[in-house]
Amino acid sequence: MMIEIKDLTQEFSNGKGIFDVTFDVEDGEVFGFLGPNGSGKSTTIRHLMGYMKAQKGYAKIKGLDAWHQQSSARSHLGYLPGEIAFLDGMTGHQFLNMMAGLQGVHDKARRADLIDKLQFDPKESIRKMSKGTKQKVGIVATFMHDPDIYILDEPTSGLDPLMQNLFIDLVMEEKARGKTFLMSSHSFAEIERTCDRAAIIRNGRIVATENIHELQSMQRKAFNVTLTDKKEVASLLESEMKTEKVDELTVKIELQGNYDVFINTLSGYHVKNISADDQSLEEIFMDYYSKEEVQS
Amino acid sequence: MNMSFYTQMMRINLKMFLGFGLGSAIYVTLMTLMFPLLNDNMEEFDKMIELFPEPLLRALGLESLSSYGQFISAEYYGLFYLIILGIFSVMSAIQLIARLVDRGSMAYLLSTRVSRTQIIATQILVFVSGLVLIHLMTFAGGYIAAEFLVDIESNIAFDQFFYINFVGFLLFFAVGGYSLLISALFNDERNAFALAGGITFLFYGMDMIGKLVTDIDWIRNFTPFSLYEPGRIANDEVDILMSSIILGSIGVIACVLTLLIFKKRNLPL
Repeated sequence: MMIEIKDLTQEFSNGKGIFDVTFDVEDGEVFGFLGPNGSGKSTTIRHLMGYMKAQKGYAKIKGLDAWHQQSSARSHLGYLPGEIAFLDGMTGHQFLNMMAGLQGVHDKARRADLIDKLQFDPKESIRKMSKGTKQKVGIVATFMHDPDIYILDEPTSGLDPLMQNLFIDLVMEEKARGKTFLMSSHSFAEIERTCDRAAIIRNGRIVATENIHELQSMQRKAFNVTLTDKKEVASLLESEMKTEKVDELTVKIELQGNYDVFINTLSGYHVKNISADDQSLEEIFMDYYSKEEVQS
Repeated sequence: MNMSFYTQMMRINLKMFLGFGLGSAIYVTLMTLMFPLLNDNMEEFDKMIELFPEPLLRALGLESLSSYGQFISAEYYGLFYLIILGIFSVMSAIQLIARLVDRGSMAYLLSTRVSRTQIIATQILVFVSGLVLIHLMTFAGGYIAAEFLVDIESNIAFDQFFYINFVGFLLFFAVGGYSLLISALFNDERNAFALAGGITFLFYGMDMIGKLVTDIDWIRNFTPFSLYEPGRIANDEVDILMSSIILGSIGVIACVLTLLIFKKRNLPL
């Protein structure tokens, strides 16, 4: 087991915090950690990094306690903090040199390769860099010492779509080399592309730990279908699918796995436009909760 | 201690260290250059000084100006030096720990195998290095000016001038020590700065008031500033060893506490 979190609890004075968080990440796995802002993702990660002492339970990295043996535990990690805050007055190069010194690994070739891949100028002063470029410097610092385990806190925020793809390629490459990932995010789409499994956290509690495909099937998709005729709209609203009238000619159809019915039904209509409406994480949660409630 | 981190932190802070060091050195140099002017008119100056009330003179360290040591103590070490180095010590202590925690950069420093103790020990060393550098530059400024620029035969006792700087260094090692301790305790940079600055100002004020109002001079027993009396060091009137041991101990104990506290606390990174 690369990462082991058991009954991890940290209650803050305002009553918020994390409560009995439990999950494992296996060797070679890319594990997503999903939750809305303020749900406890970062607090959990802070325990893994040894920044906080658990009130109850533990977090372990490769069997090493993340608090009591924090520096040996961290020696296996590459960490990308959620909020990038560098030291003042350094160039990208100076920062990476310092990090290499702290990591105790100077693999110049790997670093150069990463800089080349992410395409930025490391000689520039960090203060003058754009948010995206800073994120790139952070990514290089996280990957350059070739750690066994990566902990990435919202890694793609601040990157443009092109760089996001590049980053995902990088993660997949490392995964192919047998590396383990814990990746937090508030966007399902981001996790969906890379992760094998994901845990969903809400209000400090893990509500589900699922295979990513199960989460995908749980995700409901909505389409806005625009027709040409009001009569057709009326008849579509009568169909067996979950429909809702948006305006005179547009109907919102919600699907959950029943794509065949959707296609077959629409084939009988004259469709002017279809636009997809991705479900937000909150909505997935709501689905998850309603499912739980029905079961209990 | 981590060498690569130390080098990088020194590089970042060197401009500030040199700035304070240069300012301090230039002030001492200029004052030293003025010493012969005063030396020639010593009698008139002494007469003028007699016009001031005694507690005020004591507070400013102006009791006598007959030697270089007394002159430079009165003109620099008794007042401006305390203010400049006080600002330096509080400011850099806060920047070296609390700022990094507040802004989150500490997350990067603590993302590797390097332990919290190593990071803080390095930061303490960076602070001490800065303090040594400033005092070396100040001492060199006074020494070079007196030796090569000013034509005075006697009156400059370099032993005393060295001790004035040395005990001053230890005073600000103590001030920096408790400021580092405060810096390690707070998540918010501004709160840490307010507390460390406030305490330093209070200590300084206690020493001043104790000197001005003889009735309450016991108050000086509770401030490290009373252990640094440059004018009296110049006159060989104080037990330098004792003050040095006390000031040094305050600094060392504060640094050890800083290391222990930072090791144990939860960090909001």
